[in-house]
Amino acid sequence: MIALRRQLPLLITMVTGLVMAGQYYVPHPASEQLLTTVTKWLQIIGGFALVLGITSLFHVHAAKIRRKEAGWGYSLMLYAGMLGTIVVGLWNGGKESIDGAMTSFGWVYSYTLVPLQGTMFAILAFFIASAAYRSFRARSREAAVLLIAAVIVMMGRVPLGEYLLPISGDLSSWILNVLNASVRRAILIGVSLGAVALSFKIIFGVERSYLGGGKE
Amino acid sequence: MTFAERMLRIDRRIIFLVIGLCTLFPLLFPVGLPIRISSEVRGVFDYIDNLPEGSVFLLSLDFDPASKPELYPQAIAILRHAFHKNVRVIAMTLWVSGTGLADSIVSQTAKEAGKENGKDYVFLGWSPGGSAVILNMGQDLYTAFPADYGGKATKGMPVLAGVQNLRDVTYAVSLGAGNPGVEAWYVFGKDKYKFELGGGCTGVMAPGLYPLLRSGQINGLIGGLRGAAEYETLIGQKGKAVAGMDAQSATHLAIIVLVAICNVFYFTMRRQQRRQERMGS
Repeated sequence: MIALRRQLPLLITMVTGLVMAGQYYVPHPASEQLLTTVTKWLQIIGGFALVLGITSLFHVHAAKIRRKEAGWGYSLMLYAGMLGTIVVGLWNGGKESIDGAMTSFGWVYSYTLVPLQGTMFAILAFFIASAAYRSFRARSREAAVLLIAAVIVMMGRVPLGEYLLPISGDLSSWILNVLNASVRRAILIGVSLGAVALSFKIIFGVERSYLGGGKE
Repeated sequence: MTFAERMLRIDRRIIFLVIGLCTLFPLLFPVGLPIRISSEVRGVFDYIDNLPEGSVFLLSLDFDPASKPELYPQAIAILRHAFHKNVRVIAMTLWVSGTGLADSIVSQTAKEAGKENGKDYVFLGWSPGGSAVILNMGQDLYTAFPADYGGKATKGMPVLAGVQNLRDVTYAVSLGAGNPGVEAWYVFGKDKYKFELGGGCTGVMAPGLYPLLRSGQINGLIGGLRGAAEYETLIGQKGKAVAGMDAQSATHLAIIVLVAICNVFYFTMRRQQRRQERMGS
């Protein structure tokens, strides 16, 4: 059983990892065919992952409702919303519109999801302004530099800022293209090297947390 | 408590009110300040503008309704431009929650331009797998999307004539609000299948994509509402983005003023504290 639970997944990971890493450098038709097949598998697995995610969400909130934990009413709302949307979605074949006409699923999407998500995003502006007022202070030299850069970029990204301070547009562009891009690139290189190292650790079975912590 | 301390602990509802008014008034009374075109946005515009008639243009609307205020105007402007240039448009999304929005954007602009579904454009919809969908399309578009969003078989569609995979796409633009988005289209798409790629994203994401832009991994970048407003200006059809720029100008300025005020009070308070410490010692 241990072999099935531990050794077999490790072996599959190592073989698949090495084959697919090598596949990238082999343009032979057989190698390309392998990639076509594997990507199709990935799509199918992606579909199952979605089902798994939804099932897990249902389980978590069902437990909350059963135990009447704090905020269980929200879980009930989530259940009602999800089940209602699934029923309406299945009824309409998952289509928001058919031949240009809005379906009831489309109505749910356009008049609940769109405004709700839009509202969540819109209130961000208010919280950013409040947070900026409370925390954006030149407490140190570094903070002052950050503050000045932020003000220049904020001025340079809007027409009124460019109108009031014409140089802010060019300065903002320079900050984004030179300072920001170089720092971001350094971070990206670091992250990528880390990803390569982690991939090797997973392929060669050093990192095994993805196997889960079940009993052996 | 001193005046400076009181001001630093101001009720946040006052700040909310200031921001609310700064958003509302410019929308009601627009000023219409001129918008300067950046080289990043011009990169995408010029490439689409120079596409020969009948070229294959792929637009991936990788966002959900949360990013609608910024990415919806970008999508509308790009599609209007592409339809005007008579290129074949393949639209799709990698975000399941954005499918309905993407469908309405594509159908609306196509209807406006008098384009026919299946002949001039196709909306493929969403397919599970995230970034793997890009790889799958790169190998064979018809296995990734055997049918379009409306359920019609993609094989044999006039709009897809001569298109087998991503290698046959002339230009692709991903309007991304996160992952999968612009970066995924570069890593899994352009890098392997060698098509030209442009990007569009929300304002907060734009700085993160500048390394891709500077290295030529994407040939242009439309950042946030400002980018959308620039694109609307370039195609000469001012829409929601240009209208929103006055509000964005006012809120940016309000935040700058608030930050300046907060710093004035902060330094006043610090000076007072130091003076008290000196007097105490």
